[in-house]
Amino acid sequence: MIQCRNRRAAALAAALSFPVVACEFHPGAEELSYALNRPVIEQNQDLARDPGAQAQLAGALEMLFGTAASPRFLAEPEWVEGGFDPNYWGEDLVKNDDALRTSLEASNRTTFAAQIAAIEAGRFDAVVRPRHADDLWGWWEELKAEKSDDAAGLKSEGVALFAEYYPSLRASAALYRNQCYHCHGAEGGGNGSTSAFLEPRPRDYRPGKFKFTALKGKARPRHEDLFRILAEGIYTTAMPSFRRFSDAQLHGLVDYVRLLSIRGETEILLASFYEPDEGLNFANVQENYLDVVSKWRAAPEQLIAFDGTIPASTPERIAHGRALFTTPGDKGGANCVSCHGEGGRGDGPSVNDPKQSTDDWGRPIAPRDLTRGVYRFGRRPIDLFRRIYAGINGTPMPEHIGMTITENGQQRTMTEDDIWDLVFFVRSLATHTPAVAQHGGGHGGDLGGGH
Amino acid sequence: MAALKHFLLRVVVTLLLLAVPVLGVWTFTEADRWGLWFPPMVSSYGGSIDKLFYLILWMVTVTFVGTEALLVWFVFRYSKKDPTRAIFTHGNHKLEMVWTAIPAVLLVIVAISQMEAWTTVKMNFPEDGPYTREKPLMEVYASQFDWRVRYPDAQGNFTGADVIEVPYDITVPEDTKVVLRLKSRDVLHSFFVPTFRLKQDAVPGMEIPVWFEATEPGSYDLICAELCGWGHYKMAGKIHVLPKDEFDAWLAAKRAALYATD
Repeated sequence: MIQCRNRRAAALAAALSFPVVACEFHPGAEELSYALNRPVIEQNQDLARDPGAQAQLAGALEMLFGTAASPRFLAEPEWVEGGFDPNYWGEDLVKNDDALRTSLEASNRTTFAAQIAAIEAGRFDAVVRPRHADDLWGWWEELKAEKSDDAAGLKSEGVALFAEYYPSLRASAALYRNQCYHCHGAEGGGNGSTSAFLEPRPRDYRPGKFKFTALKGKARPRHEDLFRILAEGIYTTAMPSFRRFSDAQLHGLVDYVRLLSIRGETEILLASFYEPDEGLNFANVQENYLDVVSKWRAAPEQLIAFDGTIPASTPERIAHGRALFTTPGDKGGANCVSCHGEGGRGDGPSVNDPKQSTDDWGRPIAPRDLTRGVYRFGRRPIDLFRRIYAGINGTPMPEHIGMTITENGQQRTMTEDDIWDLVFFVRSLATHTPAVAQHGGGHGGDLGGGH
Repeated sequence: MAALKHFLLRVVVTLLLLAVPVLGVWTFTEADRWGLWFPPMVSSYGGSIDKLFYLILWMVTVTFVGTEALLVWFVFRYSKKDPTRAIFTHGNHKLEMVWTAIPAVLLVIVAISQMEAWTTVKMNFPEDGPYTREKPLMEVYASQFDWRVRYPDAQGNFTGADVIEVPYDITVPEDTKVVLRLKSRDVLHSFFVPTFRLKQDAVPGMEIPVWFEATEPGSYDLICAELCGWGHYKMAGKIHVLPKDEFDAWLAAKRAALYATD
């Protein structure tokens, strides 16, 4: 039996220890460090058995990319000489582009309207600390201390500081942990705590493979491609639009995602080529790092550029697109029908083929139901053109440009004009024009309907 | 000496209790100055919603102040050291009638006064303007966890390839009765625009018409007011009210941008 006095003492002890327990529990601490990519390590027996080598790998990655709390690229001297510093990758890109710089400044002036108004009015102590911009606040405090006896200078430089703000990698990493971490994980492995509830799963950045870009040749995404995903979201997935953040913050998040992706790719290369007798020597690490970064730098060259105006959609072009779409590959067509089905409902015969219905991340995937008019990477004709042109990286949707087709007994390769015809046909599916009524009606109903 | 101490204790306790209603009423009178009161009201029917709010607030205030006054008085009056024994009573028909009738009458007053606001906001949809229930300006899709608006193509179709889809930013013309069709792609959401005094649930499987007339150009917050999942807090949007000619130019630019090749 517990004595009254003891019970009181127990309650008191519990009450006193609560703040201690609460202080010991740091929910943020764990996310502040990067973990190794376990599945990749496990594939290399030598590395998997050697904790020392794993620690070496973690150390090499930290040397190249810093820590989660303080991420930064190791800038190679040859890059810096050539005017390229990956730590200012996005900032240089944005500030050297007139349109991007103007919209960045306009967006900053809206976001920091209150702060800029206070500075312009000379009320420097009334400047409110902005959210998710610790770096900016630090710079402002520094500037304020430095110009304490120069109100005019503080005014002009203060306004410029807020209007031209571009977040540091460190601030972007903090925003990432606030907004993206719970799905995409600390290392960008797509394995955050909420990821298990989602279908499709959040992207794993580490292989450097992104589905939706305007590029060909399975290239790494450009800054603009990632920015667009952040701003527009991916409709019908759990990736929302992040327009409620300023342009600067979205650019910063792109920078951090790029760092995570390059880091992940370098890690995969180092882990898979690790050999115990060679170890992780510096030359090897540097070579892989340079290799990955150069792939990312080369991305803009892969843009599927289309100069001129989009051709007009005519019934003839739609009919030609339909013929290409509905003719199977073995009969010389573009073979869309094998996955998307005759009516474009995403119910082609290959939905039952496990190989054709699994993506590179090992998740089940269904062909888009094109009658719904929902397109994940934009509904503009140019977006559909690029999708058909280059396919979708990491999925069974193949590249179509240069594909061999047979028409009127003639073998030839698919041209841009053919792709436009396919675009016009696909767009006609969403409008429920007679093309659908004739061809698509009654083919499999809603089975496998585009998720 | 003991009697004086007891009297002082009664006074202190009574004053502490009195502080509750005084502080309560004071926060309401000062809330506006602290920026905690209503956001600006920029819709044609927002006034009728505010009027209802104030009607109910006054009813509650009178009841609150009256009850608190009685309570404070009772605490003071009956904390006196009094040898009299308490009396037991059970039931008072007249009293029960009174305390049933007063709330009933108040409820009827509220019910009658809200009828006009309800019919205006939820039943009488614009019929003469450019946008009607059958021909809305836009469709708003709520989904976990963002807002997406779809404007029809030039022929007025919402299903064509040339519809315009915009996440987050909803743009509407000023001084125009705007009708929208509210849909949900997954679970319950709620379309809440505090400055318009407008709130409407989005229900999966239903197409719910919503209308408003914005009276001031500007950008206003749109938030989801129905807990819709773990990302509910992310589900924000903006409603941009533009003068009519600017809105037309904006829409034309959006239509042209559909055929951009950047």
